[in-house]
Amino acid sequence: MLTVIETRQIFAGETRLERVVFYLASFVAILIFFVGLAFRVRKYFAGRPLDLSRFRRKHLDRDLLGITRPVPVSRSIHEIASNGTVSKRNRGVGLAHLALFWGFLGLLAATTILSLDYDVVGNLTRIFGHHELSFFTGHFYLAYNAIFDLAGLAALVGLVGLIVRRARSTSIALDYKRAQIPEDGYSRARMAAGDLLFAYGLLAILVTGILIQALRIDASRFPPYERWTWMGYAIASAMHGIGISSTSAAAIHLWIWWIHIAMALAFVAYIPWSKAIHIMTAPANLLVRDSSATRRLPANNLDHPGYRSLDDFTSKELLSLDACTKCGRCHSVCPARTGGAPLSPRDLILDLRQWADRSAGLSMVLDWEQRPTASGPLVAGGRLAGDVILPATLWSCTTCMACVEICPVGIEHVPTIVSLRRSLVDEGTMDPTLQSALENLATQGNSFGKSARMRARWAKGLDFDLVDARKQHVEYLWFLGDFASFDERLGEISRILATVLRDAGVSFGILFEDERNAGNDVRRVGEEGLFEMLVEQNLAAFAGADFDKIFTTDPHSFNTLRNEYPVYGLDKPVLHYSEVLLEIMETNEGALANLGGRVTYHDPCYLGRYNRIFEQPRRLVELAGCELVEMPRNRTNSFCCGAGGGRIWMDDSVLTERPSENRMREAAELGVEQFVVACPKDYVMFSDAVKTTGNEGRIKVVDIVELVAEATRLVGAGSAGGEQG
Amino acid sequence: MNIIVAMRQLADLVEELEVDSSGTDIDREFVKFVSNEWDEAALEEALCLKEAYGGTVTVVGIEEVDFHQTLHAALAKGADRAVELTGDFEGWIPTRQRAAALAWFIRECDFDLVLTGVQAADDLNGQLAGAIGAMLGVAHASVVTNISVEGSEAHITQELGGGVTSVSRARLPLVLGVQSARQAPRYVPISRIRQVMAEATIEKVPVTGESFGNTPQVLRLYAPEASGTATMLEGKPKEVASAIYDVLVAKGVAGSRKGN
Repeated sequence: MLTVIETRQIFAGETRLERVVFYLASFVAILIFFVGLAFRVRKYFAGRPLDLSRFRRKHLDRDLLGITRPVPVSRSIHEIASNGTVSKRNRGVGLAHLALFWGFLGLLAATTILSLDYDVVGNLTRIFGHHELSFFTGHFYLAYNAIFDLAGLAALVGLVGLIVRRARSTSIALDYKRAQIPEDGYSRARMAAGDLLFAYGLLAILVTGILIQALRIDASRFPPYERWTWMGYAIASAMHGIGISSTSAAAIHLWIWWIHIAMALAFVAYIPWSKAIHIMTAPANLLVRDSSATRRLPANNLDHPGYRSLDDFTSKELLSLDACTKCGRCHSVCPARTGGAPLSPRDLILDLRQWADRSAGLSMVLDWEQRPTASGPLVAGGRLAGDVILPATLWSCTTCMACVEICPVGIEHVPTIVSLRRSLVDEGTMDPTLQSALENLATQGNSFGKSARMRARWAKGLDFDLVDARKQHVEYLWFLGDFASFDERLGEISRILATVLRDAGVSFGILFEDERNAGNDVRRVGEEGLFEMLVEQNLAAFAGADFDKIFTTDPHSFNTLRNEYPVYGLDKPVLHYSEVLLEIMETNEGALANLGGRVTYHDPCYLGRYNRIFEQPRRLVELAGCELVEMPRNRTNSFCCGAGGGRIWMDDSVLTERPSENRMREAAELGVEQFVVACPKDYVMFSDAVKTTGNEGRIKVVDIVELVAEATRLVGAGSAGGEQG
Repeated sequence: MNIIVAMRQLADLVEELEVDSSGTDIDREFVKFVSNEWDEAALEEALCLKEAYGGTVTVVGIEEVDFHQTLHAALAKGADRAVELTGDFEGWIPTRQRAAALAWFIRECDFDLVLTGVQAADDLNGQLAGAIGAMLGVAHASVVTNISVEGSEAHITQELGGGVTSVSRARLPLVLGVQSARQAPRYVPISRIRQVMAEATIEKVPVTGESFGNTPQVLRLYAPEASGTATMLEGKPKEVASAIYDVLVAKGVAGSRKGN
């Protein structure tokens, strides 16, 4: 009886010459791949060394996972394996990509195993042993085929899904139109061509791969054990059915095999010179990302302020530039881009990438932008912040962090933008209004240019005296921030909050004229020295006061006090007033009457996305008996009011639509009566937006404490408020 | 080209100024002092001139509250030398005395231009530049908005009344009162000021033997008294509008309510 050995012959029909050609071509392709990769890696190492210590560093007591503590490697690996960041807010694309991702890895494993068997084990045993051995037989062979056919199918289905989606998409995320249009124009046709080559090239490789499998089975006259190669067998049967005989299959097989090999090897060589590099850089970037960097900006660790050249960037930043896949999600969510400002986070990254590659003497085959005259990333020499990336582009950022939040490959745009802004600040390139705000902050400690002694003037309208935390111990030190202290419209809200807290018996006090701007936005403008000065002044004020905890009105102050001040020595817990209010209201059952009414709630960037406080304000709305109607963009996807990152001190005239107006139009769709905010800057921005969008009288902007105060007042008045709604 | 910029400190006008117990000066104890904004324009113009023609910029002024901050900022912006004149200076320094001290120092320097602010909150008639010029025996011009230099001559742009601007020619050296610089005063990052504070030195020069002759004595300092013609209207917008209307009618500006 003849023993059937379940296997297939490697190089079934190829001549010796063909084998030599194959190995030579493989060698060249792999060489080009590794040379390209080495150049890229060398570029990353031109940057400042990656700070790996953060993975081992002992963290401060109140460091929060994912906010000021980096994402653990284990979680990153899980996110990479599950394509979690790709699926975020885009389920379909995520699933298709996941199928392609695992399918591709499967096929890579299949090729590697085959090479291991034939090239390594086979050669070693032939040279050193008596006869050539192979493990590519029997059950192993059958399982190999069954499993990797599945991988092939997954990759094919995923890739076709992505191609169809891209072809049908009308999303601005994928049209590659720049936010800032260069005077002489530009072309991104090569970028689009790079995408097509990548997608359709991969598709052709997959299809020919599956075809040669089927042709081989047909040519070898359907050995029964090849049924394990289920997909190949099915296709082979179908081909046989339409009249492709085993003889002709054998003839076609050789041709298709060569086409497949040629394309696959070309692809290997192409990877480091194209968008395909993301299959290596994206997971690497996800592993080394530092989600804390945006919340706790790195100090300027250079011998000059701000980034000027390639070696000022960190290795991680340079790696992240290469990780970008141009998916355009940041481009879609960016409030600056939405408002018509000359900033798109995607364009910024692509421009920086092109500039970095040029600086390092590297090139991409296709994925580059072209311009008729050298400008922006194509400029020769020139300042990085100023010529390569225009000042207006850098100043447009509201640091809302929507781009960082949505980026599937873990790029942190905001810290890079701030590092570039530091260069602009150093040479004094800024809006006159921003300059005067910074000068006011340096001399008076507030952006309003008012005397520090006016800071507690709002409290004069109270019918009780506020406790001076510098003279008397309090549980809470209330840090108001500039807007809640100096803005006329917000004085009333500060008084309401003070009254609510007093009535609830909370022990709290303020710093009066010793409070300074906390410096969150000063730091994000790029004025690091002024930030440090404000930190020193505030820490000195804290040292002269007696308190257990801090709470802030302003989410921006909250962010820097909570996440950045501990680095400079602050060791007290920092809360937001919505947290304090909720604690009071939850412990006093029946403290709030039922207000009724339909309201929506706007998540401030620095409270929600930055510090993950989403539920406390919503719970307060609920306790006050209002019906909360969510805007389509809520929580991590909340849309910025446009005031952050120092934008509130700058000219808005470049915008075609203010982000706050865009947001107000979103709220107006809901048919709500009130637009609830938990941030003084939001109150100012949206109060204006209600008027400019013609919603005056239809929607009212209210601070969350106004709702709480109204609901407590109704209880105090013993009115029938409880029966309403 | 060597330029000397005379700078000074002033009570920050965002503060609520109060008259002290003597009745002849503002209460200086709790007031914040900042650099005179026109002096900042003079410094900016000096720095622009230095960038255009080379040379040095020396900043000089009398020892006053927080004057070091002004000097450090000037050095951080690009001034070469910072000088503080020390001596018996207390409280409100009369402009004539200030001019004499500055002229005493400048006389010993090698200079082509002396720039200072066209005026200051307590010298709105802008005597300082003129007085320094007179004491040095050097030509003087004021309300200057732009300066350019050709050889030993300067072209000076000045603002006149009625929206007219003039350009004149004058031989160096000159003393000029600067109204504004060709560009807004530059921003200097705090980190650079701090670096200057750590590294640079301020030269302290004791003023000796200066005399400034007769100077007026301040008798009384006070906030303008309300003349009693302003009436604050309070109430709801409708009531206020109605009250305004009544006033307009009463003063004969508008017709009567029930009139045709």
